[in-house]
Amino acid sequence: METKQVAQVIDLNKCIGCQTCTVACKQLWTDEKGMEHMWWNIVNSMPGKGTPKDWETMGGGWKDGNLVYGRLPSKKEFGEAWNFNFNEVHYEGNKDKVQFKPIGDRPEWGPNWDEEQGAGQFPNSYYFNMPRLCNHCSKPACLAACPTKAIYKREQDGAVLIDDSICKGTKTCQMACPYKRIYLNEERNVSQKCIACFPRLEKSVAPACVRQCPGRARHFGFLEDENSQVHKLVHKWKVALPLHPEFNTQPNVFYIPPILPKTLNADGTINEENPRVPLSYLISLFGNEVEYSLKTIATEREKKGNSELMDLLISRKWHDMFKPFHQSPV
Amino acid sequence: MESDSKSSGFNKQDRREFCRSCAKLSLGFVIATTFPASLLANKSASSYPPLKPPFKPGFEDNYRNKWTWDEVHLGTHNLNCWFQQNCLFHVYTKDGKITREEQVGNYPQTNEKVPDFNPRGCQKGCSYSDFMYSEARIKHPLKRTGERGEGKWEKISWDEALTGIADKTIQAIHENGTKSVVVDPGGNIVNYLSFYSLFRFFDFLDSTILDINCELGDDQQGAAVTYGEISNDRSGDDYFYSDLIFIWGGNPAYTQIPNFHFLTEAKYNGTKIVAISPDMNASAIKADYYVPVKPGTDSALANAMAHIIISEKLYNKHLLQEQTDLTFLVRSDNNKLLRESDVVKDGNKHVLYRWDNRKKRLEIPSQSSLKLHTDPAIEGEFIIATYQGELTVRPVFELLKDQLREFTPEKASEICGVAPETIRKLTMMLVNANAATNTCTSNFSKFYHGDLIMRSQILVFILAGHLGKKGDGFVTCSFLVADGGNKILNELELTKDLKYQYLFKYAAPFWMNFLKRKDWNQATYKYVLDSFVDSRFMANSTMFWNLHGGLIDISKRTNEWDPHLKRDIKEYIDEMLKKKWQVIDPPLSTDPKVYFSWAGNAIRRVRGSQKLLTNLWPKLDLVVALEMRMSSTATYADYILPVSGAYEKSTVMVANTNTLSPFFHTTQKAVENIGESKDEWEIACLLAKKIKERSRKLKIVNFKTARKKNRKFTEMYKSLTSFAKEKESELISKRMTEESTNLGGISWEKLKEQGYTRFTELGTNPASFGNACNIKKGETISPHTWHTEKKDVWTTLSGRIQFYIDHDWYLELNEQLPIHKDPPKAGGDHPFVLTGGHTRWSIHSLMRTDPGLLRLQRGEPFTLISVADARKNKLQDDEMVKIFNDVGYYFSRIKISTTVQPGQLIMYHGWESYQFKEGKSYRNVLASPLNPIEMVGDYPYLRPVMAVRQPGMSDRDTRVGIEKV
Repeated sequence: METKQVAQVIDLNKCIGCQTCTVACKQLWTDEKGMEHMWWNIVNSMPGKGTPKDWETMGGGWKDGNLVYGRLPSKKEFGEAWNFNFNEVHYEGNKDKVQFKPIGDRPEWGPNWDEEQGAGQFPNSYYFNMPRLCNHCSKPACLAACPTKAIYKREQDGAVLIDDSICKGTKTCQMACPYKRIYLNEERNVSQKCIACFPRLEKSVAPACVRQCPGRARHFGFLEDENSQVHKLVHKWKVALPLHPEFNTQPNVFYIPPILPKTLNADGTINEENPRVPLSYLISLFGNEVEYSLKTIATEREKKGNSELMDLLISRKWHDMFKPFHQSPV
Repeated sequence: MESDSKSSGFNKQDRREFCRSCAKLSLGFVIATTFPASLLANKSASSYPPLKPPFKPGFEDNYRNKWTWDEVHLGTHNLNCWFQQNCLFHVYTKDGKITREEQVGNYPQTNEKVPDFNPRGCQKGCSYSDFMYSEARIKHPLKRTGERGEGKWEKISWDEALTGIADKTIQAIHENGTKSVVVDPGGNIVNYLSFYSLFRFFDFLDSTILDINCELGDDQQGAAVTYGEISNDRSGDDYFYSDLIFIWGGNPAYTQIPNFHFLTEAKYNGTKIVAISPDMNASAIKADYYVPVKPGTDSALANAMAHIIISEKLYNKHLLQEQTDLTFLVRSDNNKLLRESDVVKDGNKHVLYRWDNRKKRLEIPSQSSLKLHTDPAIEGEFIIATYQGELTVRPVFELLKDQLREFTPEKASEICGVAPETIRKLTMMLVNANAATNTCTSNFSKFYHGDLIMRSQILVFILAGHLGKKGDGFVTCSFLVADGGNKILNELELTKDLKYQYLFKYAAPFWMNFLKRKDWNQATYKYVLDSFVDSRFMANSTMFWNLHGGLIDISKRTNEWDPHLKRDIKEYIDEMLKKKWQVIDPPLSTDPKVYFSWAGNAIRRVRGSQKLLTNLWPKLDLVVALEMRMSSTATYADYILPVSGAYEKSTVMVANTNTLSPFFHTTQKAVENIGESKDEWEIACLLAKKIKERSRKLKIVNFKTARKKNRKFTEMYKSLTSFAKEKESELISKRMTEESTNLGGISWEKLKEQGYTRFTELGTNPASFGNACNIKKGETISPHTWHTEKKDVWTTLSGRIQFYIDHDWYLELNEQLPIHKDPPKAGGDHPFVLTGGHTRWSIHSLMRTDPGLLRLQRGEPFTLISVADARKNKLQDDEMVKIFNDVGYYFSRIKISTTVQPGQLIMYHGWESYQFKEGKSYRNVLASPLNPIEMVGDYPYLRPVMAVRQPGMSDRDTRVGIEKV
């Protein structure tokens, strides 16, 4: 069998931060005991500290060909699954005395704690939504780091999976993953993460986060398939870029960089030149190629409906976004 | 694709390279944290990657098994999502329980040029199965054992609950009259069973049914007085024909999640998007231009744009002549529109004039067609001869020019904070666009002067020539209703009482034109609506809360906050009451005694609701809440009756179906009712049956309606169930579907099989008429084409888009034309403006306490504050603060955001009272001054109808201070 790699292109201009992907994933895979705090997929507000808090500074991946063990994120940094005091508030005679809120100490962080806090100075402040999930890397650091050989990459779709019947919960994968997208199931003492919805892929159904995205921000398909939108966006048009390519894991989730509104000058007039998101920030996320990508998108958009690239990004027929994974789940 | 093999996914070359990398591993790990040596010892470079790993065979299968199910049903959610309403889901069951839901995604593409509607849905819809099984779910009838609101309950049987409720209801009607029973219809009436049950049940009892739409702030008063109708919107895919879209008010990235892709995709297609908002919200970041405006000053911006268009003569004169009242003549002596009764003795008071430039004489504009046969003057001053002598008159346009002459961009800029040059740029973009539109929103209905803002917005779009084309024209509210529901009116006791009166009413010439294109059923409907005041079909809830609920204690201070009022607010109220302009029930001489919350949530919803608990609640002998979960209102009830959820019954979605996604949906019973919950129809029928039984026992069989008709409690059950018995609620949905004329004749069976169907016509429900367009296969929906193409008149006094209103109160308040007025300092002179909006995280208060969704927020309510203000007040992120003004206070954590304008605080809505410290919600600071302009009546079209042109509440002008605790 030829090795194939599925890839996702997430359009940050179409993502509206609604977290439907997040909830779709939660409902399908992580609704079991021990998994309450897991968000295999989460949308982060960028710039921001994200999930887990400050993940971008924790380290991992490859450097000069060497595996990097970064810092192990704590449960608190991921954000815990708060439980709420329904009974105490409603059924124990506590009129107005007890506030409905998470049980225990006031949480200091959560998976979406810094939602839309943004950066910069009003009115030229900025933020954008960035869905984050396992990148099913071509050079997965987690796989290399696992001492129990519980992690493997599938030939038929390139999904990187942790076999949790083998995993011993060493957390080495969590340290090595530079994207910090692996969680620990304390109930079972195993590491768990996004499985690329492989059971769905096997039935030609797109992953839940892709298929359930109401913003139509996610393209999906085989990266090698020249007819797939992901191939065209990544390889042909070169507008979809990996996040933090310097981690060197060769991620297979790619992003269309965000273009925000024009800024305002001090006198309130519109500045047509100055981008709202500093280019340096986008370069820090997506590398130098981001400049070419932004330019290409802006140029093609000016063609007002006569651009293959725009047609791809619009994708008038929803199914085209994830062919050949466009079968109905039912 | 088979997947039994579980080998590594590396090809040979990769594998070699990978192994080389791994070999280097042994030379040096980069270890950033402590690492147990025992684990390191297990590592061996040669083992990477694992080629044939010794996997246990079960692992992948576990996941494969997880994605399986027993049955799949079609469903959607009976939540009041309004603009984003209706998304078809597959509902999966396993072992008799719903495991999850996923969008079906089979909506058709209207045509090849535009994106399709798929997949529709949002995180709330995807969480519905969590919600239905959550801890919050009420599964049994509950009766309070402690004081109201104390949080002490006992589980009781349905029979006990119904008996207790029936007895008090019968007694209240017997002792205090029918109107002393009050029902608050909640958002759940989007589900037809709830809607139908409520109207049938409380109509028989002649109760006070509250009309809450204006109180909510969804009334679109500006459109109601300008277009004459509030519903007019396009289908989401029609945005593709716009080359300019304003997101001017509202935040569709939160409130139209399934529709928003049409905007981002139109943008890729070359459409420019402009967002105008105080804060840089989630929609504004998707725009080409973000224009920050000071809260409540959008009318200043719009009027300055109008100033530019008029002073530079950029308007489309023909459009103004044909479609608007700007050519209509106004008397210079009293600023009243010139009427036939001014010109000719015993002339008609509702006939108005234009000046025909060609023939140099007065002309009476047609009231049946907009088609121009003359050249009506938009400018000039004319002296005309009347039976009382000469009069000087000018077209409305001249008065508008006068008013706007000084209102330069420079002047507006001082008010709204938008630079003059930016105002010019926006104006030129609008003028130069071939097709320009906006995203519809109920935002401005929640401002005290929201009507002026919306009137000004419509004005600037019309001046710039945008109306009634593909992707073109200013839209206000989205509504498209299956008209099978009209027939419910023929079943109402009220309609039977009134049936001869409407025959007479429709003999009036004013309605003849209307009747030409409408059928008789609709005439019945329209009569009940148009006779709104006489029929007392529904009562305005704003005035109910004020006059019966004690909110007047707060809103009587309106004069402190609005310097423009000419008289004491109480004088305006008295005049409104005296002239019977609005429906106030129960009559002020009667106290409300019984309160049903029909899946509503007034204590969460009503601005200033803390007053209701101290002023209204003590008057009530009985408070009943029909609920799925513990709402704020349910916590203060005497009885809670558990209602079944969306996947537990077969029903159709009625209210809030809309043009944005022009599909009519059903939801199917996928599982049995949770606990002892029942659907709304069964509850209504059982209660009627119990009322029959208890009325005999109590020997109170007869009662008199407010209209002095005799009715018998003993006949209620029979009347209610003449068509469907308590367990036959599906018949009601079936009939509703099959009697609709605008669903292409689809059968109930077919609808159940498909889950939805596309609307084929506007149909005969007046709520849909404002769209004024045909719905065609293969075409997107563009509103107002009946006016622009068929030249149908508008439902206003002038029969045109009406910018000039000469009602006495409008003249008194200087609001005869769209004008900017500074927002009132509602709640007192405090430094911050507390704005708000609908959140992405809930549908009003539904899902607001959902643990899964709260984990994706901060678990508690927060108020957003700007970075500058947080710094100035030395506040830390997530700190608990006290937010206060002259009418109340609440505690809240703050969240510091760079998106917030200095001077602004934002409180997104829907939080339950009990989610705040001391149970004091942010509603405590919402002063909601009463605006007399919304009370007017007795003017051909400025009269209340269902949901429209009634006094409303507002909250976006609230002033507050903030202090550390």
